[in-house]
Amino acid sequence: MKKLFENLRHSFSARLSLWVVLFAALVFLAAQAFVSLQSRSSIRQEAIKGATQVLDNAVLRLNNILEDVQLAADNTEWLVYRHLDSKEAMFEYSRSTVQGAPFLNGCSISFEPYFFKDDLYFSAYSGNSDGVVTTMQEGNDSYQYFYLDWYLLPKLLNQPCWTEPYCDWDEEDGKSFETEMQVSYCKPLTAGDGSFFGTISLDISLKWLSETISSVKPYPHSYSMLVGRGGTYLVHPDPEKLFYETVFTEDLANPDPKYRALGQAMLNWEEGMKVLKVDGVRSYVFYKPLRATGWSMAIVCPESDIFSGFNKLRLIALAIAFLGLLLMFFVCVKVIGKMVHPLSTLAAEAEKIASGHFDDVLPQDDRMDELGTLSRSFAHMQTSLVSYIDELTRTTAKKERIEGELQVARNIQRGMVPRTFPPFPERKDVDLFASITPAKEVSGDLYDYFILREKLYFCIGDVSGKGVPASLFMAVSRSLFRLLGQQELPPTEIARQINEAFSVDNEQMMFVTMFFGVVDLQQGSLDFCNCGHNPPILLPRNGTERPMPLECEANTPLGVCQGWEYKGQQIADFKGRPLFLFTDGLNEAENLSHEEFGNDRLLKELGRAPFRDAQTTVQAIRSAVADHVGEADASDDLTLLCLKIG
Amino acid sequence: MKRVLFGLFLALTVSAAAQTKDDTFVFMPQWYAQAQFAGYYVAQEKGFYAEEGIQVDIVHPLTTQSVQSQIIESHVDAVSLPLAQALEMIGNGHPLVNLLQTSMNSAMMFISRNGGDPFQIPKAKVTSWLAGYDQLARCIASKEHWNCEWVKSASSVNLFIAGAVDVTLAMSFNEYYQLRQAGLIGSGNGVYRFSDHGYNIQQDGVYMSRRAYSKKANTAQAFARASRRGWEWAAAHPDETLDIVMQYVKRYRIPTNRILQRLMLEETLRLQLDPDSGDRSFRLRKDMVEKADRMMMDAGILKREVRYEELLP
Repeated sequence: MKKLFENLRHSFSARLSLWVVLFAALVFLAAQAFVSLQSRSSIRQEAIKGATQVLDNAVLRLNNILEDVQLAADNTEWLVYRHLDSKEAMFEYSRSTVQGAPFLNGCSISFEPYFFKDDLYFSAYSGNSDGVVTTMQEGNDSYQYFYLDWYLLPKLLNQPCWTEPYCDWDEEDGKSFETEMQVSYCKPLTAGDGSFFGTISLDISLKWLSETISSVKPYPHSYSMLVGRGGTYLVHPDPEKLFYETVFTEDLANPDPKYRALGQAMLNWEEGMKVLKVDGVRSYVFYKPLRATGWSMAIVCPESDIFSGFNKLRLIALAIAFLGLLLMFFVCVKVIGKMVHPLSTLAAEAEKIASGHFDDVLPQDDRMDELGTLSRSFAHMQTSLVSYIDELTRTTAKKERIEGELQVARNIQRGMVPRTFPPFPERKDVDLFASITPAKEVSGDLYDYFILREKLYFCIGDVSGKGVPASLFMAVSRSLFRLLGQQELPPTEIARQINEAFSVDNEQMMFVTMFFGVVDLQQGSLDFCNCGHNPPILLPRNGTERPMPLECEANTPLGVCQGWEYKGQQIADFKGRPLFLFTDGLNEAENLSHEEFGNDRLLKELGRAPFRDAQTTVQAIRSAVADHVGEADASDDLTLLCLKIG
Repeated sequence: MKRVLFGLFLALTVSAAAQTKDDTFVFMPQWYAQAQFAGYYVAQEKGFYAEEGIQVDIVHPLTTQSVQSQIIESHVDAVSLPLAQALEMIGNGHPLVNLLQTSMNSAMMFISRNGGDPFQIPKAKVTSWLAGYDQLARCIASKEHWNCEWVKSASSVNLFIAGAVDVTLAMSFNEYYQLRQAGLIGSGNGVYRFSDHGYNIQQDGVYMSRRAYSKKANTAQAFARASRRGWEWAAAHPDETLDIVMQYVKRYRIPTNRILQRLMLEETLRLQLDPDSGDRSFRLRKDMVEKADRMMMDAGILKREVRYEELLP
């Protein structure tokens, strides 16, 4: 089974065939169910009609038999009334009655005690035993017929009636009942004043009745049953039930409302049909009363019998359908398999191409259907793929080369800014630390510093744009700063000359914001010129002050306006006052929510703890920026520089 | 033919039993073979009688035959009888000895066909058994000033089923279930149980004529012991007892079935429990004897008082 499922999982044609067959089976079953319901209803109606007719005929036959008995009693009755004075006549009448009606078991003409003077008992009885008729007087002390049903019933009811079935004693052992049951038709004998004086009783064998109606079998396993007024089975195929049980016996032990309802309906002389389980078999029971006797006859037809022909036909139809569906499945598997075979070929070719055989030749498919289109599309895709891969290979090689060159440029640029800290280990009065973090391979930010004749020259700058152009501009800016600084020019002059140099032939419209500073290490003063750069932060010298942005003149960035006169500024007492310089990569650093780090946050972070040294301050701010940015990409180069003199 | 022949066979059967009385103890239950007599069948089949060293023949009466005549005429050694029937026989001059009292309660009841109070049916036709046993019913009818017509019948319920009578006298273990089996009565409608109305008089017991007892006292006591043992075994093994009962029922081709016999056995065993102690004591109760005696004297069935001691061996 596992293998079967595995095969189904791997075979498109088998799966598709299975779905097709399942759908076909569903349609067939729906149609079959509809036809079955309709057919069953028709068969049921036919069965009811047929069985009812059979039951009517059987009841008619039974009534005819019972009427024959009643007629025999009527024919005897008037003779009895005519010769009531003659006991001998009674014997003769009982004998002639039995002889005239061979279906009778016996006939009694019985009288009340002492009806005939001196005779406590007088009952003229003639019995028919295998055609031999014997006549005798049957009453005696051991057989006091006055107390028996067949005598008492007509006496008490004062009308003709049928007894419940009864057995005589076995003549062989005298201790047990006979197996053969009989019933008697009894007529009261009454005087002119209505007083009862005797009974005429005619007996018939239930075995004979049973043989008469047991042949009533509308279906092979159906059977007939006859129940008396007390529900006793008078005719039943099961000898264990016959006479020994009633329709309610089983209900005493195992209550069965349906069977009980059937019994009640039969005892109430109703006519009809019920569907219920009889002895564990679902059956249709048709019943009808025999009004003359108070009995009721029923025909039990097992449902399996009624619908046996239909069930057989349905079984054959189902078998044919099953075989058809099986055949359909295999045909579908074959046909669909053949149709989708090009897909397998295509899949194999795709695998080859995937493994690197891009030039593998696809089989030619001239079909005009979807599979043909797919095959051609795949061939086109293969051609495009080969072309694309060639292009990609070339582009990748080019990119790798550029990346290599960029790496070289990066290393060169990194070598252009001083990266050794502390920068002036021999000088205890200068505490300086700086860092630069490019957003791309190369940076447009710069910083630089050097000491020349007890003066510390430093700068920080940010070139417009990013990448290689910015890095080239940065390299030039740094070189000019070094060159002009070596000439011991003041910051304003350095700014002016660089501005003039950048403003000429600046076709790319590039510019750089820069902050130049010169600290007189002996005097402790700071001369500076801010060229459109972010104002540096002047850090507090003690715990009572707060970080403050340095107030700067509004000069233009370098390279923007030729001939601009840059204004310089001075802090006379710069000793002991830490200065923090940065590019806009700090205050404009964005997190994933596009929130900037901001100047306020910068001031807050710088004032968080008293100044310790330049490196600690730079690293604390870098850490704060990293926390703020989180997973977001760096949007700009980040350059920080911190300086303290004295 | 058959009707006549069976009478002849009765005479042969009884005389045959009479001829073997010297070495066989003949016991006649008061009705056909059925679970009402399960304890005796058990004692016979399980060998309890044989273990007591006695040979017992269980002989059932025929349709119109009364066990009273069989004991009076010494055709059998012992019979089973209701207590009231025994009291009437003693009152009529036939001294009897109570060998074993099996029933401790009354099983009798009136059942009305219309499902109402039987005593409210004027001039009701009431069936009773041809064999007798209707003494207490007559006492109650007299006490209730019930103007009814008694109809004796050899069969039990057929007249009632046919609607020929209004009320039938019934036993809770027999006719009651037969009528339920005939779909005529529900669980209690129209049922007047004597025991529910202050007339709980114990019923079946085993009796011998005092004369016969004086001759066979030892055998009689052995029979009583083994019979009691049979009943106790039946109470302890109802399913196996039912199997034994069905053997007897089939042997005599009694028109009944296992379900009815099971119900009869259960009810018979229930009736054997003393209403006060709840025990299966197998004893004749003096208070019940005296009560039955009073009722029967009040109804004029007994002309003299029959004392409890007269029944004792």
